[in-house]
Amino acid sequence: MTEENTATGTPILTLDNVRKTYRKRDALQGISLQLFPGELLGLFGPNGAGKTTMIRCISGLLKPDSGTITRHSLSTSSVAESNVRLGLVPQNLAIYPDLTVLQNLEVFGRLEGVTRRVLKERIKEVLEWAALSDRIHSLARTLSGGMQRRLNIACSVLHRPQILLLDEPTVGVDPQSRERIYSMLEELTSQGSALLLTTHQLDEVETRCDRIVVMDHGLIVAQGTLAELVQLTVGCPHRVTLRFDLPCKWRLPRFAFDQPRTSATCMMQSMQELPVVLAVLQKIDQQPSHIDVRSLGLQDVFLELTGRSLRE
Amino acid sequence: MILTVLRILYLRLRNNPLELVLVFVMPVIFFSIFAAIFSNGISSGSDKKLRVGWVTTPSTRLATELREFLDSNSSLECSSLPALDPAESTAAAGLDGEAVSAQISRAQQSGKYDLIVKLPAKFPETLSNTVANSACTVSLVSDGQNPMAVAMVTSIINGFFTQKQAAFVGQQMMQLQEGRRDISRGTPRARVPGMESQSDRQPPASDGPVVAAMPEPSAVFTEIGEGPDFLPIQDDFTPFSGNVSLADPETVESHATATLRTNSQTEGAFRVIVETPQADTQENPRIAMYAAGIAVLFLLFSATGHAASLLDEAESGTLDRILVSQAGLFQILCGKWLGIFIMGCLQITIMFLWAEAVFHIHLGKHFAGFCIMTTSTAAATASFAMCLATICKSRSQLNAVSVVLILSMSAVGGSMIPRFVMSDRMKEIGKWSFNAWALDGYQKVFWFQSQPSSLRKEVTVLLGSALVLGLVTFLLSGRWKRG
Repeated sequence: MTEENTATGTPILTLDNVRKTYRKRDALQGISLQLFPGELLGLFGPNGAGKTTMIRCISGLLKPDSGTITRHSLSTSSVAESNVRLGLVPQNLAIYPDLTVLQNLEVFGRLEGVTRRVLKERIKEVLEWAALSDRIHSLARTLSGGMQRRLNIACSVLHRPQILLLDEPTVGVDPQSRERIYSMLEELTSQGSALLLTTHQLDEVETRCDRIVVMDHGLIVAQGTLAELVQLTVGCPHRVTLRFDLPCKWRLPRFAFDQPRTSATCMMQSMQELPVVLAVLQKIDQQPSHIDVRSLGLQDVFLELTGRSLRE
Repeated sequence: MILTVLRILYLRLRNNPLELVLVFVMPVIFFSIFAAIFSNGISSGSDKKLRVGWVTTPSTRLATELREFLDSNSSLECSSLPALDPAESTAAAGLDGEAVSAQISRAQQSGKYDLIVKLPAKFPETLSNTVANSACTVSLVSDGQNPMAVAMVTSIINGFFTQKQAAFVGQQMMQLQEGRRDISRGTPRARVPGMESQSDRQPPASDGPVVAAMPEPSAVFTEIGEGPDFLPIQDDFTPFSGNVSLADPETVESHATATLRTNSQTEGAFRVIVETPQADTQENPRIAMYAAGIAVLFLLFSATGHAASLLDEAESGTLDRILVSQAGLFQILCGKWLGIFIMGCLQITIMFLWAEAVFHIHLGKHFAGFCIMTTSTAAATASFAMCLATICKSRSQLNAVSVVLILSMSAVGGSMIPRFVMSDRMKEIGKWSFNAWALDGYQKVFWFQSQPSSLRKEVTVLLGSALVLGLVTFLLSGRWKRG
């Protein structure tokens, strides 16, 4: 799958102060973001944060009340903006269960305007890419959950979209299938496609996404890499907790003690600080019985940004 | 545990109002529809009368009396057919002319008459004329839809002539008695104004003894009074005897004619002929009506089923994916509509091909009309189904609404019960359904063998509905985008 787009510093998609009132609710309250070619952007937020509304606006299914959504053509030729190819992978299995794998690919390819001759080659490529070559004549409903998810994605890439919107593409699949799906997505980004992914799988966003956007109440509350977000929200990336058998008699700088001083917690910028602290404790004969070190992740960032109250 | 399972059933039913409607309200609705059709509930509170049309204004005294006799019958509603156009009147040299046939055909197609009474141009002045002159023939023109009407009106007309003949015989008897008294007195027989007898038509030489020309009383009784002519209906020809078959109008005609003709003495008095023009040239036209009725009913269901795929696609997100693709909403709707339309055409065609193969409905002979009606009906049902699918929010909602609507439409529209048994009011209500217009159209094509040009009204209504519902569908389809 070759693609003319390559990762550059020019965004392929720009949202500028997009607002949308939906069912008497401010679903989007001035969203601004950029998506770059070859990037996998994770869109993250609690239920009702406005993620799906944003995807529907980007895909053209909804018209924003105000603000602009621009798809930039990166081709050197004078291709109109509207010709920037976009693909959508809905959260549900948006395939025809009573059609075979091949038939599904054929109809969605045709709907995307791929000519018959080209489509034949693309289907061959996509079948290998999605590891479905041996099931081309199976009805979609007879496939396993993971296969159906892969077919769901495969149907959206036949026209080689420059922007692919994925709404929770790995819901309900086993770890192997999830791994395969992310391999497929990585292949796409390596070919220059820009991917916008919504998910509730924290580990996926942490480990797979180049950049993370956290949304809440129709607003982008934070965006950046995981490290940037941690820095921005909780400050230090590591939390060290020391436990003592007996109450500690000493005051330790930067450590917060509980009562009766058998546990102390400290946020550390780097794990290299920990040996220094332990050496000091040994010197004062106050060695901890238990050391708990936890690197802060998106969960902490997310709770810090959106609070702990339940949504919807 | 059993109670818990029962409670689950109850709670699910309670939380699903549409299912409640289907379970409890639908049977009541259908009962009401059928009750309205078969009772007086909707037919303006009076018994349904047989509508008898007169093809011409009575020109003789006997014809006038016959008309008055029928008018006075409480079970009949007599009226004259709409007058012929001047051009047609000129063309109509006699009552058997083509213009009259056209007039009758038009009246039958209007569906306003159960039966049409046609009298010959030279209808006798009095019943006694018929003895010497040609037979007094009354033609009943039926479209074959209501055989009961034929049997009933035949019986009433027989009753009329029986009364007339009884009066005639009575007068003859009186004359005989008077004649005998005159003979005994040696004076000529007195004439009764307005009452003719065979003796009145004797040659001028009848100045001789009148008694010579008069039949003997025993001869009169044998010839007229005791003859089977005086029985209004033969034992084997009663409306409820089973010989009058609802499904076979030809039987009615042949049987009525045969019964009356078998008696040679009837030919000298009166004759009732039942004509069913539609049955003369085709074998099984009624089957075409059943084929159309069933086809339209199933067409509505299958069309709605296909249109429901829109809701499935919306629920699964497939519609969103397609909307994001090169295909626009208009193209999606058109594609769906076209698919349902083609499926509908095929469905009806298969039904009629089967009817042709097995029941010989002369599909080839009526092919143009069939094509026009089939495409119009399929177009209307496709738009109807698309509109329903666009209005409903889920497949279960669509299922419930479509079952209610389609069964109701089919009940009042004639897919379940022939429209001719319905009251006028019910027929009018039926006009709000596709079934009624489609069946009327197919009836014109296969039953009345009308030209395709006569389908203008049905086609206009069906295609107009298709257009309006299609437009409504398109206007409401924005919700697919709004999610």
